[in-house]
Amino acid sequence: MRIFISGFGNIGLGFFETLLIRETFLKNRYKDDPVTVVGVVDSKSYEYNDDEYKICGFCTIGSKKTTGRLHKDRNSLSCREIMDMVDFDLLIEAGPTNITDGGEGLENIRHALRKGKDVITVNKGPLALAYSELSALAEKNGCHLRFEGSVGGGMPIINLCNEALVGQRIISIQGIFNGTCNLILSRMDSGIPFEQALREAQQLGYAESDPTYDIKGIDAASKVSILANSVFNRNVTFSDVSVTGIDTVTGEAVRMAAEKGMVIRHIGEISNDKLEVAPRLIPKNHPLSVSGSLNKAQVITDMAGPITVSGRGAGKSETGSAILSDLIWIMDRRNA
Amino acid sequence: MLVNADIYVKDIPGSLVRSLEPISAVDGNIVGVVHNREQVIDGMISVNLTFNVEAEKLEALKTMWKSRDVVIAQMGSVTGAVPMDYILIGDANSNFTEKLMKEAAESIAFSSYEVNTSSYTDGEGRTVRISAKLETKEDAKKLDAFMIESCAKKKLTCIRGLTA
Repeated sequence: MRIFISGFGNIGLGFFETLLIRETFLKNRYKDDPVTVVGVVDSKSYEYNDDEYKICGFCTIGSKKTTGRLHKDRNSLSCREIMDMVDFDLLIEAGPTNITDGGEGLENIRHALRKGKDVITVNKGPLALAYSELSALAEKNGCHLRFEGSVGGGMPIINLCNEALVGQRIISIQGIFNGTCNLILSRMDSGIPFEQALREAQQLGYAESDPTYDIKGIDAASKVSILANSVFNRNVTFSDVSVTGIDTVTGEAVRMAAEKGMVIRHIGEISNDKLEVAPRLIPKNHPLSVSGSLNKAQVITDMAGPITVSGRGAGKSETGSAILSDLIWIMDRRNA
Repeated sequence: MLVNADIYVKDIPGSLVRSLEPISAVDGNIVGVVHNREQVIDGMISVNLTFNVEAEKLEALKTMWKSRDVVIAQMGSVTGAVPMDYILIGDANSNFTEKLMKEAAESIAFSSYEVNTSSYTDGEGRTVRISAKLETKEDAKKLDAFMIESCAKKKLTCIRGLTA
């Protein structure tokens, strides 16, 4: 399995490290199909295997960590052009999310699928905007498109619903899909005002300097649309989600909720007739009343009842584990 | 939901059975029947019924009873009233809230509701918490839609309770 990685920031690099950590496991499991990384691209630079250069795990990681760059400067080359220079079987798209038009990530995925390559993406933008198009393209070209890490990082929600719970009718999913918002709201439970809780989240490295994506609910809404399409077979995009952020939640509202034994949490809700992200009132003993930066979701099924799953919603090894599970899923089928 | 109802049936043989059949027809389960032959009004006898039925089937039951000349004197849920909670943030003063709840009660069946207005103005206005109990899930859905629409018009943030 020859892998091409697009996006070599925290997540791409994290997955590369995961491959090194799981090298022996993968060698033993796929004796006739060794896993090799044949191309890597980040925003400024790239490297790929050719007659003169071979990607070496520790050299690549070392170069990226010390210089911030890979072997060659990208100059004016697009990621698609670099993909065309390399023989590969699977693209891992881990570039930055662009929710306006899908950005380079969407173009990269389209390009790989058109070439008949399997794709694993953790980039939410392309899925939130063009899920139907991409899954049709994958089907047409006989490719696999997997994206467990795009929702909830290390929390296995998509494969849980589509594989472990196969045969069940999933009535709804309610969940906390943005750890930053949950951290802010749980700090507000202690009487800290919104602005201070946000600053704390920024200082801890959870929230970006521009926190709009998180606190306005854009990130969570992208995940809600991905779940609606992939679990409920709906045909929706990010713009179909009703979104309310947490920036209007006041300390007084949190206090009044607490008087009734409740907390306010930012909840995404998906069913056949609901598609929403909003701050909601939750009883303190409810499974979704969690503190800190965890993601958590409750899947309501017709036969098994409620199933609750939680995990770290971000982080390189957590998201790397989701990519690894998708890789194994694909390799099991390709090597069957 | 568990429902308790006072109905009046004609004081003629077979009318009690005719009044119970519709409960089975809507897949209800009769828990208790008290046939009060001492309470007769205009040739009709009072019957107190307790039964389990899906909230969505109550309207069908009422229609069937009406077609069988059964008079419903009182009907309400014993348990299973649907609780709904809301917090409104923004310029939500007590006049607005009073008017809002009056308007809601015109089309939605409340078992009860309680409104708490914050004493702290929080900059723009007072925060309001509404805790309501609705008779049916259908009413709860209606109230949710009503609150979303009313708050959007008034540019209030409406934080709704999470329901299963």
